[in-house]
Amino acid sequence: MAKVKTKRHSISLDMTAMCDMAFLLLTFFILTAKMKVPEPAQFDVPSSISTQQYEEKDLIRISISNDDRIFLTVPDQTLRREMIDAYANTFKVKLTEEQKMAFELTETFGMQKTDLISYLAQPAEIRKKFPQSGIPADSTDNQLEEWIATAKAVNPDLTIAIKGDQDANYSKFSEVIATLKKRRIYAFSLVTTLEAKPSNL
Amino acid sequence: MAEINTGDGGGKGGKKRSKKVSTKVDMTPMVDLAFLLITFFMLATTLTKQQKFDFGVPPDLKDLTKQPELKASHAITLILGGDDIVYWYTMNQDGTTDFHQTDFSEDGIRAVLLEKRNKVGKDLNVIIKPMKESKYKNLIDVIDELAILGIGKKAMVDASPEDIRLVQAEKAASQSSL
Repeated sequence: MAKVKTKRHSISLDMTAMCDMAFLLLTFFILTAKMKVPEPAQFDVPSSISTQQYEEKDLIRISISNDDRIFLTVPDQTLRREMIDAYANTFKVKLTEEQKMAFELTETFGMQKTDLISYLAQPAEIRKKFPQSGIPADSTDNQLEEWIATAKAVNPDLTIAIKGDQDANYSKFSEVIATLKKRRIYAFSLVTTLEAKPSNL
Repeated sequence: MAEINTGDGGGKGGKKRSKKVSTKVDMTPMVDLAFLLITFFMLATTLTKQQKFDFGVPPDLKDLTKQPELKASHAITLILGGDDIVYWYTMNQDGTTDFHQTDFSEDGIRAVLLEKRNKVGKDLNVIIKPMKESKYKNLIDVIDELAILGIGKKAMVDASPEDIRLVQAEKAASQSSL
């Protein structure tokens, strides 16, 4: 009698369909991803139960780091360009075209005016490590107000967001609010991370 | 898994046949790579989502006499001190105040506010007075606590010298009792 041979199955799978799907998803995620730009300081935001999405559209953000330095973030590049032009005009700061280009590439900065001018004159590698002492916002030398006034003059529809580190002192936050009040801005949003709402109430 | 061509050459005989090359390509490393990148982009995008809430401050009043009147029994004042301590007081009928100290936990400030809300109802006004020593987190916690309890009426003012004096008295009293 003849031996019954077991059929040998090939173990090779057709990966094409899987590959198609994987790349489709990859394309989707690449297109929707917004790269996180490195920030000059850590902002560990407190949590709240609010579920409103925070989107960086038509806004400027004032950030307070845990060592109480104030930073300003302008997410929109064209707005940065318009802002630095307006700022140089209003406050009679002489800036070269290269320095303005450098400002255009600076999303977040936190330094006073004199430091900013020397910062913008540096090449990109040095700019990354430049010490940033924060934008002064006290009543004697309120440069934050100048920046907000400039931004509002360029685009009056801008909203303001405040992103504070958990350990930032309230006194710094009240300085920021006093500055906004001076510019007649009474409504703004605070950036938080999501926290579950307690259900036992 | 790679496909290996196991054709047995041309065999014997004179005729030369062109070898049939398999068109199958091994996709496995490509899929591996694609999934690795997917994982990276998924984590990089969804984990950085942030929330916001809108917050308003009243304009500074030039004329202090035009301040809105507040019923004392409907108001509670929270003073945010340093070291994550919150002090609170309400005013009694006879003008005296009880001064208490609590923390930001569920049994602390939430219990206080919940009890007050149940007693007074919707008209409860919460006055938040952060002191210079308090942290930004403390303020957010209190505002969030009010949002959780559905108390819409709140006002934020800086702590007055009188409040600071009360807090220092409370601190001294709690230290001497230890």
